[in-house]
Amino acid sequence: MATLGASEKRIRWLIAVPMALLAISCIYPLVFAFNVALKSKRDYILNRFSLVADATFDNFRLAWVQAKLADYFVNSLTVTVGAVALLLLVSSLAGYALASLRFPYRRAVFLVLLAALMIPVQVVLVPFYRTMIATGLVDTRIGLILAYTAFFLPFSIYLMTAFYARLPRELIEAAKIDGASLLAIWWHVMLPLGKPALFTLGILNTLYCWNDLLISLLVLQSRRTLMVGIAALRGEYTTNVPMLAAGVVLAALPIVVIYVIFQRRIVAGIAVGAVKG
Amino acid sequence: MTSATETHGTATAVRARELLDRNPASRAERRFGILFVLPALALVIVFRIVPLVWGAGYSLTDYNGIDAPSYIGLQNYAALATDPAFRDSIVNTLILLATLPVWIGLPLVLAILIHQGVPGGRLFRAVYFFPAVLSSVIVGAIFNMVLRYDGSFNAMLGSLGLSPVDWLGNSNTALFALIGVQLWSTFGMNVLIFLAGLSTVPEELVEAAKLDGASTLQTWRHVVVPSMVPIIEFATVATTIGVLTSMFGLIYVLTAGGPGTSTTLPEYLIWLEQGRMNRPGYASAISIVLFGVMAVLALVQIRIMTKNAEI
Repeated sequence: MATLGASEKRIRWLIAVPMALLAISCIYPLVFAFNVALKSKRDYILNRFSLVADATFDNFRLAWVQAKLADYFVNSLTVTVGAVALLLLVSSLAGYALASLRFPYRRAVFLVLLAALMIPVQVVLVPFYRTMIATGLVDTRIGLILAYTAFFLPFSIYLMTAFYARLPRELIEAAKIDGASLLAIWWHVMLPLGKPALFTLGILNTLYCWNDLLISLLVLQSRRTLMVGIAALRGEYTTNVPMLAAGVVLAALPIVVIYVIFQRRIVAGIAVGAVKG
Repeated sequence: MTSATETHGTATAVRARELLDRNPASRAERRFGILFVLPALALVIVFRIVPLVWGAGYSLTDYNGIDAPSYIGLQNYAALATDPAFRDSIVNTLILLATLPVWIGLPLVLAILIHQGVPGGRLFRAVYFFPAVLSSVIVGAIFNMVLRYDGSFNAMLGSLGLSPVDWLGNSNTALFALIGVQLWSTFGMNVLIFLAGLSTVPEELVEAAKLDGASTLQTWRHVVVPSMVPIIEFATVATTIGVLTSMFGLIYVLTAGGPGTSTTLPEYLIWLEQGRMNRPGYASAISIVLFGVMAVLALVQIRIMTKNAEI
C-alpha cells in the first residue's frame, strides 16, 4: 500500500506519539504491579506510587510459600500440560480424518464440532457441573483436563482441518500405497507434517488453559489453580497489597515469557482465524 | 452412438465406484475416519451438547440444587421478564454493545496506521496485543489497584488538578470502568485481525486511487475500508461473542457485578443464580436465553469459518 507523501513525514511522527502512549499503557499495569511487589508493606503505605527505593523479594517468597501459590502453580501446570497434550492429539487425529479420509457424515461431524462453538460454558453451567458430579470427575485434575479439552477443542479442530486440507493429497496417497495403516499414516506422516499448526495451537491453548477462571472454579473445589488462587488472594489478604501484587506478577510471569519468545507465532495464529492463510 | 458411449462411460464410473467401495483401503477409510473423530465427538457431546439439552430441561423446573426438580412450564422465563437483576443485566449488555463501534473503529484506525508504516509500527503491533494474552484475573487484580479510590489513576488525575472519582464503587462509572478495562485488554486482537486483512487488499487498487488524485483519507474511505468489509464483519461477530461470553473473569475480580447490579452481565448472573442464589433451574433459563443469542452469532461465524476451511 502507498505510504504517506514525503511532505507528510512530520505527520507520521506526530501520529506515532499517541500510538506510543497507548503502547506504554499496555505495558504500564504490569510494571506498576511489579513496582508495588518490590516494596515492603511499610514502604507501600508511605510511598504508594513512587518508584521502589529499597527493593525486597520478601513478598514473592510470602506469596509463593505462605499464600500457597507454589501449590496452585503445580496444579495449573499439571492441568495445562495435560489438556494441551490431549487437545493436540484429539484435534490432529480428527483434523486428519476430516481433511483427508472419506467417511459417511464427514461434513455433518465437522459441522457438529464447529456448532459446539455456540455452547460456551456459561450456557451449560448448571448441567455441566451436574455432569462433572455424575461422572465423579468433579474436584479432580483429570476432570478439569477433560473439561478444558472439550471447551477449547472446536477452534483447534477447525485449524487442524484447514491446515491438513491444504496439504497435497499425494503425500497421503503415497503413504497409503506403501501399505501403511491409517493410524500409522497419522502418527508417522500427519503428526510431523502438522508441526507448524500444532505448535501454534499448543501455545494458544496453553494461554487459554493457564488463564481460565470459570471452568476451574466449577470443577475444582479442594484444589485451586493459579487464577482461582489469585482471585481468592484478593479477598484473603486485602491489607497486604504488595504481596497480592507479587502473586499477580508470579502468575503472569510464565505467560509473559511465552509471549516474549513466541510473539510471532501467537500473532500468526490469531490472524489465521480471520484470513485464509 | 454418442449416447451409447455415455452409457458405457457412466457404467464404467459406477463399476469403478463399486470397486473402490469394496477396496479394503476405502473401507478402512470409512471405518477409521469415524474412529478418528470419535474422541473429539465424544468430548463435545458429553460436556456440551448433552448438557445443553439437559439444561433446557432444567430451565422448565423449579430445581434448587437439593430437592428433586419438578416441572413448572415456562414460569422461569416468565419470572425473567419481571426480574430487575435480569433486566439490569440486559440493559448493561445493550450499553456494552452500544460501544462496539469503538471496539472495531479504534483497532481499524490503528491497523491502517501501522500498515501505512508509522514509525515503530512492528513494535506497536506486538505491544498492543500483550494485554490480550494476560488472564482477565491478572488484569482485574491490577486494575483493582489502579482504579480504586486511593489508586494510582486518581493520583495521576490529582496531579493534573482533577478531582478523584470512585471508578469501581460508583454505579454510574463502574460499568464504563469495566468496559474500558476489557477494551484495553483486548483491542490488540482486532488490530491483528485487521492487519491480516489489510495485507490482502490489492495494491493496484490503492495505487489506482492515488493516480486518480485521491487523498490518503479518501483512499482509506473509498478503497481500503470497503475491501475490508468481510474482515470487519468477522471481527464484529467475534468481538460480540467475546463481550457476551468472556467477561466473567474480569467481572469476578474487578467489580463482582456491583455496586448493586451495575456491572452484572447475563453470564455473571447465571453464575450468581446457580451458586449463591441456589436457583439452578432459574439460572438454566438465563443460560438458554444466552444460548439463543449465541446460536445466531455462532451460525454467522461458522459460515465464515467453513468458507475458509473448504472441506
